[in-house]
Amino acid sequence: MAQAMRPQMMGARVSRVEDPRLLSGQARFLDDIQVPGMLEVAFVRSPHAAARIRGIHTEKAVQYPGVHAVLTHQECSVLLWERDTYKVGQPVLANGEVCYVGQPVVAIVAENRYVAEDAAELVVVEYEPVTPVLDMRESILEQPRRVHPEAENVFFHKKYATPGFDEAFAKAPHHLTASFRTNRQTAVSMEPRGTAAMVDAASGRVTVYASTQSPHRMREDISHLMEIPEHLVRVIVPEVGGGFGMKANCYPEDIVVVAAALKYKKPVKWVSDRMESLETDVHARDDIHDVEVAFDGDGKIIAIRDHLMADGGAYPAYPFSGAVGETSLASRVLTGPYDIPHLATEIHCTYSNKTPLGAYRGVWGPIASFIQEGVVDRVARHLGLDSAEVRRRNMIRPGQFPYRNAAGMVYDEGSYLQSMEEALTLIGYEGFRARQAKLREEGRYLGIGISVFVEPTAMASSEAGSVGYESCTIRIEPSGKVTAALGLGPSGQGHETTMAQIIADQLGVRFEDIVILHGDTDSAPFGGGTGGSRSGPIGGGAALVAGRQMRERLVKYAASLLEAGEEDIELGNGQAWVAGVPDRSIAIRTIAETAYTNVRKIPEGLPIGLELTARYLPKRPVTFSNGTHIAEVEVDIHTGVVEVTRYAVVNDCGTLINPTIVEGQIHGGVAQGIGSAILEALHYDEDGQLVTTSLLDYLLPESTDVPRIDVRHLETPSEGEGGIKGMGEGSLIAAPAAIVNAISDALTPFDGMVDTLPVTPPMVLQMVSGGRTR
Amino acid sequence: MKPAVFQYRKAETTREALEALGTNPGAKVLAGGQSLVPLMNFRLSRPDVLVDINGIEELTLVEKLDQTLAIGALVRHSTLSQHPLIEREVPVLAEAARHIGHWAIRNRGTIGGSAVHADPAAELPAALVALRASVVVGAPRGERTMPADEFFLGYYTTALAQDELVMRFEIPLPARRMGFSEVVRRPGDFALVGAYVEDSDAEAAVTWFGLGAMPERQVVEAWPKGQDERQALLERLAREVQSDDEYKYAMAVNVAERAYLAAQKEG
Repeated sequence: MAQAMRPQMMGARVSRVEDPRLLSGQARFLDDIQVPGMLEVAFVRSPHAAARIRGIHTEKAVQYPGVHAVLTHQECSVLLWERDTYKVGQPVLANGEVCYVGQPVVAIVAENRYVAEDAAELVVVEYEPVTPVLDMRESILEQPRRVHPEAENVFFHKKYATPGFDEAFAKAPHHLTASFRTNRQTAVSMEPRGTAAMVDAASGRVTVYASTQSPHRMREDISHLMEIPEHLVRVIVPEVGGGFGMKANCYPEDIVVVAAALKYKKPVKWVSDRMESLETDVHARDDIHDVEVAFDGDGKIIAIRDHLMADGGAYPAYPFSGAVGETSLASRVLTGPYDIPHLATEIHCTYSNKTPLGAYRGVWGPIASFIQEGVVDRVARHLGLDSAEVRRRNMIRPGQFPYRNAAGMVYDEGSYLQSMEEALTLIGYEGFRARQAKLREEGRYLGIGISVFVEPTAMASSEAGSVGYESCTIRIEPSGKVTAALGLGPSGQGHETTMAQIIADQLGVRFEDIVILHGDTDSAPFGGGTGGSRSGPIGGGAALVAGRQMRERLVKYAASLLEAGEEDIELGNGQAWVAGVPDRSIAIRTIAETAYTNVRKIPEGLPIGLELTARYLPKRPVTFSNGTHIAEVEVDIHTGVVEVTRYAVVNDCGTLINPTIVEGQIHGGVAQGIGSAILEALHYDEDGQLVTTSLLDYLLPESTDVPRIDVRHLETPSEGEGGIKGMGEGSLIAAPAAIVNAISDALTPFDGMVDTLPVTPPMVLQMVSGGRTR
Repeated sequence: MKPAVFQYRKAETTREALEALGTNPGAKVLAGGQSLVPLMNFRLSRPDVLVDINGIEELTLVEKLDQTLAIGALVRHSTLSQHPLIEREVPVLAEAARHIGHWAIRNRGTIGGSAVHADPAAELPAALVALRASVVVGAPRGERTMPADEFFLGYYTTALAQDELVMRFEIPLPARRMGFSEVVRRPGDFALVGAYVEDSDAEAAVTWFGLGAMPERQVVEAWPKGQDERQALLERLAREVQSDDEYKYAMAVNVAERAYLAAQKEG
């Protein structure tokens, strides 16, 4: 029989247990929750970027047949305000003023959504528009006015410089400057946001179904904001169709739905439609970086100065503003995988009359990579050097780990150089240049773009929760089958598969005999939820620790029942046996039976039953995944349309739990990266109207836009449990930079260099005509 | 994003459909629903009555008559793209239809619906103009026929009266041979700009879409054989059309050039 300690499932390409229900339409999402008598909510939302409210007239809506109630700020005055951090908070229903288009003003509770929307049209709100604040650079100067009279427009400001920065910068032989702009995006999860709430008349407890990434965080927010003790709130997260950081917040609608359920003692539901989703899901990536770089004649980068600005929108999203996450963390990984000794950063996060900024997969990462990889390519072009060679010259060497970067972040061991060299081989970098030159003569413009990334994962405090640890409860049932519960909030990552893989190896039970529970605060142990690429390393770590503890207990049982030494017991395939004597075995089912029903036979010192909870807090505050993406594109210089033609990824996320799932994550992130690079942008007009309110205007990448992606894995284990590193965001961190660098490369004959995300056809045409000598 | 209240009427015959349109001034026709239903969900369109014509057999016909190819208003894009008669007689129409949306959209969307919706960036209205097709319109007063270029009046605007129903399109045969090209951000999108270029014995012409407020057909004496000269002419023609975006002119020239080259292959 196989050695039990040898992992059988960890690292295996196990098919996802989630897929049959998802692919056959059997999964139960929030909108599938039907309760007799359930009411539905529609919101009257602000049509103005900035206006004072002079009056709200709801009489006609109240009288509309089928309407149950109409709520304004008077009826529901909760404030989403993180008082310790910010000077302002957002009222869940507007209080005397509106500060962005789409802000909830009135809630209609009706027998169904159709009626609620009919009645919403009957509400008359008297607005007195005021000048909107829309431009980041102006907002810093408090122009044209303050968004909130009681708070400066700049709500986060920070300066940092390495000692001796100015001197090092000044002494460098070469300098260049560039300004980088990322435009607003949002996650556009396939399943939009939604909340349903109902009160149990007997216990008085409120059950909240929420499409969120963090069940316990949501429970805490509801409890805290609505002043209901936590034990009276149960949050259940059904199947979630994508979160991407966007579902890590508590939103006004969540609170209004709960308030309505409590107030009217009726089940109440709200599900976002796509227009609401584009208008009011947290936006992301609204950043400007004014960058100055100092380097020597060999392309060695000496110093980077960056003025980072982010438009946080009208209010800090609750409980954290994405603007702070995007900038302060970008400033700390701005040197990426490169050994750049000097860094000086200044950050301004500002208010505006736009939708609040929150998290979107990668958060700071895609922006930092766009800057850092853009800088390397600019240095290479400036000096007429090969861009891969400039990367080689600057890369952190294998002997330098643990490496403290110029911002003070400590990188654990990674495979930076190796990942790039292997990716160059994978894409055929050598042969590409000849092909590029030949096709250029035919009037075809191919380009190649390299993006070497670092991905901070498993941060001891992630944006998805205030806790740095994760918890896992394992219960071996009397039948010997296993139920395990975690505090995670998966939204498609496949945790029911990966966590079961980890536990199966530890307990020696069959993978099929394990069920993973999550998302119900009544059954799941307290945890931080899913976000910040923490579920694999921290959640998986908790599963590993819990599994190991349960394994020790099983071994004690087996040793006692088989009358052998603990050190001789092996576990596997649902059995425990004495090493070398497979006949002396006992089924784990029999051990479980003993533990629950034959309690007199329980070995001394062991508790009754087989149930335990373990928590895992990584020792390191963060572990870094890394890798390299290389994109090949073809640019049609006559239309400005870009096609991503080939794509290679070498990814290192430490010890792999399930390579298929890791590859799925990479494919999705690259697809989103193509969206970020060439398609997706939320546009506001000069009045602060969001003009991209449908998927006809907000362009997502489609299957036809995504090429085949060649993926290879490297495995540099972390020092944490299982050697696991996070990897949920690296693909989207790296991809936009790879693609835009490829576009810049294609446009070399025109001197084109991309500085804005996304790159649109008119921008490409501009670069072509701007550089063309007629 | 739910539609306002409306009534639904299923019409079994064109007479029933016309009757319903005639008696309900707020009525709209439901064909494939690919534009109308989203507009209703956004509450940008709020018909009192929806007259469903999907069961009317005669509107689905594709027939070759003496001098024309008749295409029923209810013919789906997927049918246009693979119907043997259309493939043979008007291949450019089949080709254009393949560029509309995705499979699901093409399986529902209809040529009549596309014409009546009159999106300036849509493929089919411009095809009808380029092919010098006629639009046959039914009304309680009887049928009337008008040339396609008189049917389209501007952004989402046609000459169709509220109580009228588009019955079919008649394309004169032999159909004019022409090339088609368009620029899209993603396959299946509405065109940023597109063109049909005719270079036949009958005429030399270009029909633009996505450039102005409606399909615009311009006739020239002949296409210059030299590329520079031809592109200069195309640019001059494009600039006669009022566009909302300056950068579209450069694209328009390139697209028309590609359509011209395609037309040469058409022979």
